[in-house]
Amino acid sequence: MKKSLGSIRKSFAPWLDPKAEPHISFADVTKKFGDFVAVDNLSLGVYGREFFALLGASGCGKSTLLRMLAGFEEPTSGVITLDGQDMHGIPPYRRPVNMMFQSYALFPHMTVEKNIAFGLKQDRMARSELDARVDEMLKLVKLDQFRGRKPDQLSGGQRQRVALARSLAKKPKVLLLDEPLGALDKKLREETQFELVDVQQDLGMTFIVVTHDQEEAMTMADRIAVMKEGKILQVATPEEVYEAPASRFVADFIGSVNMLEGVVSKPGGTTVIETQSGLVIRTKTDQETAENDKVWFAVRPEKLRVASKKPKTTSVNTIDGEIWDIAYLGDMTTFHIRLDGGQILKASVINDARLAQEQLTWHDRAWVSFAEDAGVVLTA
Amino acid sequence: MNRPLSQLFNRLVIVVPYLWLLALFLIPFVIVFKISLSQPATAMPPYVPTFEPSEGLAGLWTSLKAFSFDNYIWLTEDALYFNAYVSSVFIAGVSTFLTLLVGFPLAYGMARAPTSLRPLLLMLVILPFWTSFLIRVYAWIGILKPEGLLNQLLMAIGVINEPLIILNTDTAVYIGIVYSYLPFMVLPIYSTLEKMDYSLIEAAQDLGCRPVTAFWKITFPLSVPGVVAGCMLVFIPAVGEFVIPDLLGGSRTLMIGKTLWVEFFSNRDWPVSSAVAVVLLLILVVPIVLFQQAQARAQEAGK
Repeated sequence: MKKSLGSIRKSFAPWLDPKAEPHISFADVTKKFGDFVAVDNLSLGVYGREFFALLGASGCGKSTLLRMLAGFEEPTSGVITLDGQDMHGIPPYRRPVNMMFQSYALFPHMTVEKNIAFGLKQDRMARSELDARVDEMLKLVKLDQFRGRKPDQLSGGQRQRVALARSLAKKPKVLLLDEPLGALDKKLREETQFELVDVQQDLGMTFIVVTHDQEEAMTMADRIAVMKEGKILQVATPEEVYEAPASRFVADFIGSVNMLEGVVSKPGGTTVIETQSGLVIRTKTDQETAENDKVWFAVRPEKLRVASKKPKTTSVNTIDGEIWDIAYLGDMTTFHIRLDGGQILKASVINDARLAQEQLTWHDRAWVSFAEDAGVVLTA
Repeated sequence: MNRPLSQLFNRLVIVVPYLWLLALFLIPFVIVFKISLSQPATAMPPYVPTFEPSEGLAGLWTSLKAFSFDNYIWLTEDALYFNAYVSSVFIAGVSTFLTLLVGFPLAYGMARAPTSLRPLLLMLVILPFWTSFLIRVYAWIGILKPEGLLNQLLMAIGVINEPLIILNTDTAVYIGIVYSYLPFMVLPIYSTLEKMDYSLIEAAQDLGCRPVTAFWKITFPLSVPGVVAGCMLVFIPAVGEFVIPDLLGGSRTLMIGKTLWVEFFSNRDWPVSSAVAVVLLLILVVPIVLFQQAQARAQEAGK
């Protein structure tokens, strides 16, 4: 994971620096197609050398946002600036950004080499420099021996790399990637995610990637913007988005979550929430609430502990229920536990020893417990 | 279906187009070729030798010996034929180019039109076929003649003072061919342009191409198979075109289709007109072969 890449990336957080100017900024940008509002009064700043992900379901406006930055669409209202320059009215061929298309959009009548050289030729780059750059790009994406092939003679993964090389060839300050890994199979996708991060860090570019795959966004991005219906619901690091989601939608969209609805019976640093079925949840939270507020308590499956007997060490946040379903996934087992109130909780247990699972099976009684800081309180 | 049976079926299916070609192309061609080797005669049919099955093998042999290439030699001796071929190829070539000039923008516009509008536009391109070709060519006489619609219009709005002489000139032939064959140019080009992924143009622009450059570097090269198909579909029939030069062209408009007509109907010289037809076929076979090669290449590229 990127987090292990060391101190360089850990200290990379320009968004925390109030003096840092965003490299790209969207200010109150709206884009309408007829009556349909694709992007709804959205503001966003992306910093230089950042790997930024726009995450959302299809139709949430993320691709439109990217296409407006590339210049293929003009915002209906609002201002997009790049390096402090207003991009309004600047055609795509004059913008210092390049895009890697979802369909790759490789020119079928040109070889790999010519595809990569295409943008450089438009800039009238000198022949020797151009050849050197093409060689460099071919090496970068490890396609040296395929330089003479046409796109239809390449595999999906190779085509993806040609598309990447072609969009990187002009060394733009900003690279836009529209579902760059969408057409690859799972294994190749995982490998390529790391390659993309490496390339981005080596070349020191700003990457903005559009994806609907939350795992992909979390693996690659410094920050993620979660989008829904043309609006940004949350912009934060992967950890924050996962551990401190801003809303139920974000919590549910990113990963798997147990959502318990209740009312606050005691607000404060340790808030007590009572659900309709009578469960009492004690949770530490920064969320300001008042007594009798309607709230949701969200807790991730891996934060729950499952035991066949009532835990002796703690009595708070301990619930019993019946094992309803078991999904054995190899590295972990997911239990679906039906509480007496009818609600089903998902709990993931790491299989850290071979065949050492407590012998819990279907319809057994089981105890679920979690710590006071395991979940978050959501008001929206 | 079991395996041997399905194999048999597959072979039978292949036989159908071959039978078709044999019956409708090869056999008529052999007959025409045979007549082209005969001599004209005042008889029915108007040539000798003719072969009667009752004369048996000996009769067949005599008629075979009577065959000669005299008619082909005759074609080379009279400059009329050579000039007619050259003029036909020239007129067809110019017309094809003009049709391309008119047809490409039309096809491009159709392919870029909103998806909901395309079936209607396609319909409009095909619509003229619903009226007889002959009637449509006659209609052009009404438009182009000195006192015709075009001249009336131009004089009414004051562009010209005297009527333009268009009818019975080569210009009228070009207009007629471009008009008549336009759908054959538009449809194949439209089909290649319509299949083209528009994101290729966006990618080109993204990489720094102005729209005009993107057109010449991406759109046009990718539409070449359609352009080639369209040009062949116009050029090949235009070379042998008879109706348009006959109705719209002047007495000086020399085209091989007209020459053939005169030989066949006025001179009743079936052998010479057959020879003219065979040579015309040979002239056309070259572009057809080129066309098929281009198609094979396009298919290769489309794989």
